[in-house]
Amino acid sequence: MKKMWNKIVMILFAMTLLAIFTVGCSKKEDKTKSTDANSTQSNEKKEEAGAGEEAKEKTTKEKTIVTVYTGRDSAVLEYIEPLFEEAHPEYDVEFLNMGAQEILERVRGEKENPQGDFWWGGTQAAFEIASSEDLLEVYRPSFADSFPEEYKDAGDRWYGEILLPEVIMYNTDMLTGDDIPKDWEDLLDARYKDQILIRNVLPSGTMRTIYSCMIAKEDASNPEKGYEWLRKLDANTKEYTQDPTNLYLKMTRQEGSLSLWNLQDIMIQKMTNNQPFGYVMPESGAPILVDAVAIVKGAKNLEGAKAFYEFIFNDKIRLDLAENMFQIPAQANIPKEQLPQWIQDLDLRAMEVNWKVIAEKEMEWMTYWDENIKDKN
Amino acid sequence: MKKDNSSFSVTKLPISARPWFIYIILAPIFFILLGYVVYPLYRVFIDSFYVDGKFSLELYKRFFSLSSMTNIQATWNSLYISVLSVISCGIVGTALAFLLESYEFPGRKVLKAFAVIPMALPSLIGAISFDFLYGSTGIIPRGLKEIFGLANVPFYLKGIAGVIVVHTFTMYTYFYLPISAALRNRDSSLEEAALNLGASKGQVFRRVTLPMLTPSLIAASLLVFMISMASYTAPLIYGIDRTLTMQIVLSRTNGDLGMASTQSTILTVISVAFLIIMRLYEGKRNYASVSKGAAVHRKEVKSQFKKTLAIVASIIVVIILLLPILTIILISFSEDGTWTYQVLPPKYTITHYVELFTNAKTWRPIKNSLIMSLIATTGNVIFGVMVAYAVNRVKFKGKGIIDKLIMVPWALPGTVVGISLIAAFNVPSVFSFGKVIVATFWIIPLAYFVRHLPLIYRSTYAAFSQTDTSCEEAARGLGANWWYSFCRVVLPMVAGGIASGAILGFVQGIGEFVASILLYTPRSVPISVAIYQKMYSFNFGTACAYGVLQIVLVAILLLISEKLKGDSKISAI
Repeated sequence: MKKMWNKIVMILFAMTLLAIFTVGCSKKEDKTKSTDANSTQSNEKKEEAGAGEEAKEKTTKEKTIVTVYTGRDSAVLEYIEPLFEEAHPEYDVEFLNMGAQEILERVRGEKENPQGDFWWGGTQAAFEIASSEDLLEVYRPSFADSFPEEYKDAGDRWYGEILLPEVIMYNTDMLTGDDIPKDWEDLLDARYKDQILIRNVLPSGTMRTIYSCMIAKEDASNPEKGYEWLRKLDANTKEYTQDPTNLYLKMTRQEGSLSLWNLQDIMIQKMTNNQPFGYVMPESGAPILVDAVAIVKGAKNLEGAKAFYEFIFNDKIRLDLAENMFQIPAQANIPKEQLPQWIQDLDLRAMEVNWKVIAEKEMEWMTYWDENIKDKN
Repeated sequence: MKKDNSSFSVTKLPISARPWFIYIILAPIFFILLGYVVYPLYRVFIDSFYVDGKFSLELYKRFFSLSSMTNIQATWNSLYISVLSVISCGIVGTALAFLLESYEFPGRKVLKAFAVIPMALPSLIGAISFDFLYGSTGIIPRGLKEIFGLANVPFYLKGIAGVIVVHTFTMYTYFYLPISAALRNRDSSLEEAALNLGASKGQVFRRVTLPMLTPSLIAASLLVFMISMASYTAPLIYGIDRTLTMQIVLSRTNGDLGMASTQSTILTVISVAFLIIMRLYEGKRNYASVSKGAAVHRKEVKSQFKKTLAIVASIIVVIILLLPILTIILISFSEDGTWTYQVLPPKYTITHYVELFTNAKTWRPIKNSLIMSLIATTGNVIFGVMVAYAVNRVKFKGKGIIDKLIMVPWALPGTVVGISLIAAFNVPSVFSFGKVIVATFWIIPLAYFVRHLPLIYRSTYAAFSQTDTSCEEAARGLGANWWYSFCRVVLPMVAGGIASGAILGFVQGIGEFVASILLYTPRSVPISVAIYQKMYSFNFGTACAYGVLQIVLVAILLLISEKLKGDSKISAI
């Protein structure tokens, strides 16, 4: 019996050690946070002496966290985080990186108890659905008036931040000259059999949009023709990868030479990670997606979300991101000569797309694709 | 005071014998089982019958529709993967057990020590390590390609084959451990008698040895089958979308919540059916041999050639067993984003570890996992002791129901636990005290609590049933009140069993991924989810550093638990 007690004591001891270990570390966290908060407070004192009550609270609390759900590449996130936190030391921004469709599902699941503040990057279709389900906060940003109608929601629930052309991606080490496909149709050619790698479609906003556009392009009223097209594409597809990282890895390791993907991510991989990637602007035009942003309805840190909102639409930041992170600003009021060279050189050919139809039909079409086309050809 | 009481109120009933006492214990037990096991499943079940608020069988029609076959195919794949996993785990585990228990050869001890290594490998990091090692871009296939100057990789693991290999690696111990125990404890005089009576070796094996092992073999098969049905990480890493668990998550991602409920219901039915078969079988299988014969002798391998062969083979097996962990350690030192086409990571750094221990943000998932598992385990222990005591020592109706209900989560795939908790608690309910607990910190500890309930209950129950009730009676006879005797007599006697079960539950919490990925919030990211996120963002180094920490934690805790178990001779499962 005594032995048993010894054991209990031993276990308790081990658990306490663990607990101390964790608490110890969290204390350290608190400390750094509170010193940050102190400096924050002094900053704020200069700005708003009236908010004494709030500032007092902040000295005891840590800086407030802005939670951003995002579908952007992690390179973009690493780039923007220090810039934002420098400009807004009162906030600590935290990113949750996932596919645009997964964000929609998450925001929907958290409707009763929102955890995210800001939704950065997702397809127009996803935002339309989110708007219709009342998941987005109405917010009219300071730049709203100068914003073209086609890139924003009439009810101020979301604003388009960048234009995202969906193009054909290829491995430049593997394909050159005439081997490179020129248009979407070419992808169905038998010579590209087992050359195509696709990012798993359902969780990815980009892939859902591309596939829906292909269906709409064939015949929006009757999807059968589009399904047929996707069947042929599926026949040429070697593999569906579970995430973008694996798509890049497998492309780099020459497991496949072709994919369908968005221009920004191709450019980021090519320019910042030195990957052997190139893109083709299809002759019949690329679906140009408006990649949008919104504040999550019921955001816990509404002020922080607004600050982040305004920050990424700041002209300087937009040009910065355009230059370094290959984002094509959606707002038309930036003079063309100010835009980075690569955008000026870009031969953008837009495909005619009825986005309303896509937003409406996407789920139905993608469910059909998943159940009846994927891996069956 | 004690003396006074005993002399004057001899007729006073002990507290535990009073009629109301049972209900004090039973009320919270039923509340918890109904609220957190039955009610969530009921919600999912109901959701699967409603389309747009109306009762309908539409979703089931779609599930079984012959035109798309997706769901039928997913069910088929799940079954098929499970059956193959059972066969392959059975062969590997049983062969290893026979080899290690029947023969004496150089390297046996080392091999024996390393044979249980896969138990320290949490599911996600295990599957990832196999992909790093043997995937189409893995170290081994590409290494061979480079070394021999081949045009293509000679082999690689993918698809269902990959899933089965991962399952075999992570689950053969479910065969290996009970079979070795059975072999160690078997009555070898029976075999000798058969041999003396003129049976051939083959006959002895078929007619004597095998029947003695059948109970362990069948129990292990059912267990592996159930776990394979529930497997989510291996299909996720190998991109097998067509399994039931994957389909559930995909339907959810696609916004098709009704379908996700239908798929969950069907998976639950299959899993619970297997649980029932298993319990029925367990109830029948107690037919140990009457005598404990002479100790089993291991045959010594004598020929020099065979000895050398044994050494080489042992070394190879040990390497195979260690490779996944070594790979994770290696990659944990690689610089993020640099490892692309090279066979091995080209650049190394220790920053990931420095980050882990100095940066509060990187440390947080570890802290989260520890805290959330600790909360869940504490709850499990309190609840487990309550139930085990009640079932073991108190007489009441409905014992059987409690005993069965509490085992249900064992059969439930993590995905179903996640989905059902979401369905039950994304709106205020009685069981969540009028609050929404989806998307709060508390949802993950709750999921861990539900998932690991059976594990801790069973070890606690075993501990209770192995101690003599007369001690408690004696204590009370000597005048101790119920509480005093419970704390000073009952608890100390079962402490070892409880502790080893609690540690196992805690370990499961540290490695949990399947339910966590559905339930985590930005502020309660556990280690496994952090690993997954880092993999998504091409930060392999950081992901593996988390993995190493996870493995170290799990290994230490398992060792402690093993030590406790060894001392008290109480098995947890």
